[in-house]
Amino acid sequence: MSAFDTRAAAALADPILKTAVERTAGTAEAKRTLAVSAFPDFGAARTRAAAIKDHVIAHLGAYLEQFEANAVAAGAQVHWAATADEACRIVIDICKASGARTVARSKSMLGEEIGLPHALAQAGIDRIETDLAEHIIQLADERPSHIIWPAMHKTREQVSALFKAKHRTPHEEETIAAMAESARRELRTRMLGADVGISGANFLIADTGAVCTVTNEGNAELSLVPPRVHIVTAGIEKIVPSMGHAVHMLRMLARSATGAALTQYTTFYAGPRRAGDRDGPEQMHIVLVDNGRTKMREEGLADMLRCIRCGACMNHCVVFRQIGGHAYGGTYPGPMGAVLTPALDGLAQSRDLVHACTLNGKCQQVCPVRIPLPTLLKGWREKSWREGLEPTSMRFGLGLWAWVAQRPALYRFGAGLAVRAMRLLGRGGWIERLPLAGGWTRHRAMPKPAARTFMDQYRQERGQ
Amino acid sequence: MSARDAILARLKGAAPDRSQADALLIAPERPAVDPAALEAEFLARLALPSVSASHDAIATLADLPAAIARYLDAQGEARTLCLPPDPRLERCDWSGFILHDVAAPAETAALAIARRGIAETGSLVFETGPAAPMLPNFLALHHIVLLASRDIAPYLEDAPLPGPQPRAHYWITGVSGTTDIEGTYVRGAHGPRFLHVILLRD
Repeated sequence: MSAFDTRAAAALADPILKTAVERTAGTAEAKRTLAVSAFPDFGAARTRAAAIKDHVIAHLGAYLEQFEANAVAAGAQVHWAATADEACRIVIDICKASGARTVARSKSMLGEEIGLPHALAQAGIDRIETDLAEHIIQLADERPSHIIWPAMHKTREQVSALFKAKHRTPHEEETIAAMAESARRELRTRMLGADVGISGANFLIADTGAVCTVTNEGNAELSLVPPRVHIVTAGIEKIVPSMGHAVHMLRMLARSATGAALTQYTTFYAGPRRAGDRDGPEQMHIVLVDNGRTKMREEGLADMLRCIRCGACMNHCVVFRQIGGHAYGGTYPGPMGAVLTPALDGLAQSRDLVHACTLNGKCQQVCPVRIPLPTLLKGWREKSWREGLEPTSMRFGLGLWAWVAQRPALYRFGAGLAVRAMRLLGRGGWIERLPLAGGWTRHRAMPKPAARTFMDQYRQERGQ
Repeated sequence: MSARDAILARLKGAAPDRSQADALLIAPERPAVDPAALEAEFLARLALPSVSASHDAIATLADLPAAIARYLDAQGEARTLCLPPDPRLERCDWSGFILHDVAAPAETAALAIARRGIAETGSLVFETGPAAPMLPNFLALHHIVLLASRDIAPYLEDAPLPGPQPRAHYWITGVSGTTDIEGTYVRGAHGPRFLHVILLRD
């Protein structure tokens, strides 16, 4: 079994995980459906959002230079990183130069992608995760399992036990509200004492040089306003031309992610504290990170750079809903993760992910920027075949099928035999157990085939 | 070659025409807002469960302290308030209040003046400046916001204000909330648990 198979099998065997994933993803799906139905022409809005991102990606270099010039004019310092390691090194150097011992971190998937938590630990810098879910993950010493709800895999019972073990004055009442209150008590003073605040960016506004973050908890602002230094790590694809474009993308992001019209807190940061300001950091640094994005743009994955990290694709994915996010093994789970992980970590290590998909197309239907995820996954499957990464059994099986398929008489004879054999195994229209396909029938029944093959029936119809 | 040069070399291409970008914003899809009833539209959004802010209205700025006292009394809170150093507020009579201008880590109530209200979402628009610190609005349990009714605009596109860009421009649409445990909504995650808007109809 491959590493993915092992993780997926463990996930399927975990009854608590399924409950936890279902509770959050099910709610998210229902809320999105409501929000979208209340919006005038969400389909056209998705097309517009895709066009905005396509325009940016086509002119990415020029927009990045424009953003840089405006951010510098606002007083920010802009850094560029080609790789994840380079990005981490820049962040750690800034932390060290400012004598930082603690950083408050506002949830950022790019931070996870470049391995920032690990880099901070190695540098001996104390990290305070301020998003409630990231706080849960940090206490549990785990990795996020969803890009919007990183602790989606945890039930309230598990969170309660964790807080009781780790918080200084934990909750007494067994309610979710009391647990959130316990985290508020635990995090408030620690957050305010941090030396550096680190965030990602939901959008980079080219014509103002501002960095936009969105949260519902307000933890970004509480993490980024009090410290002396604010560091932003952002993927280069996060650019939008102007505030007007950001507004359209924000309408799409909130509705697709949580079903809300807008997040509670939407902030545009432009540079450090100004003369006369009572609060705000003394320095603002923005690290623009490539980490494979220019390569994706060159090698047929430009569509994927439209992604705004809303998580709708995974909330609606039948595979994700069964196995949760950890089984995917990469930073990004679900359909968007299955497309991104091979680009970030290499196809050889992640070829299983591109097969962990039924191609039902649900992800593409809900994507706010119309990314053709099934098509991109099929592209990876073809590449995996061309590069000889598919296992021998698969290559042999498909080779055999192709050989037979090119010999129609033999194929029809074989199909006729198979249909008759399978009908012998059927009970009441369904096949509950199938030799050599136990992996399939363990989780679901297969419909009993029709009495005669399609070609038999076709020939008979034509004969009449 | 620096990382900057290496990245930009791979992204070489024609500079975009501003009109191309602008064309992408013609007739945007967005919720309908009645321009003749902006205040009513704004208040309707404010009352939605997702925003769940309360509101009051005053006729002149001089009525502001009484409106805040009314709110704090109803909430069973002391008349203690974090006030921004805004010259307009100095003209109000704050007798009976304990005022301070730096927020405590466990601040009970803070007042802020919104620059705009957005009817589309019930959002309040703020900008930082010497008279408008940011942190109190995220620390206080009760966030009290003064908004002039005439400053309500229809859409989020109307949020940017004329003049130089401030250090931070931010929109607040409700209270600090989380759905991080089993997708269940909880108010007051890290920041304010209550949002109270006082409309100035002068």
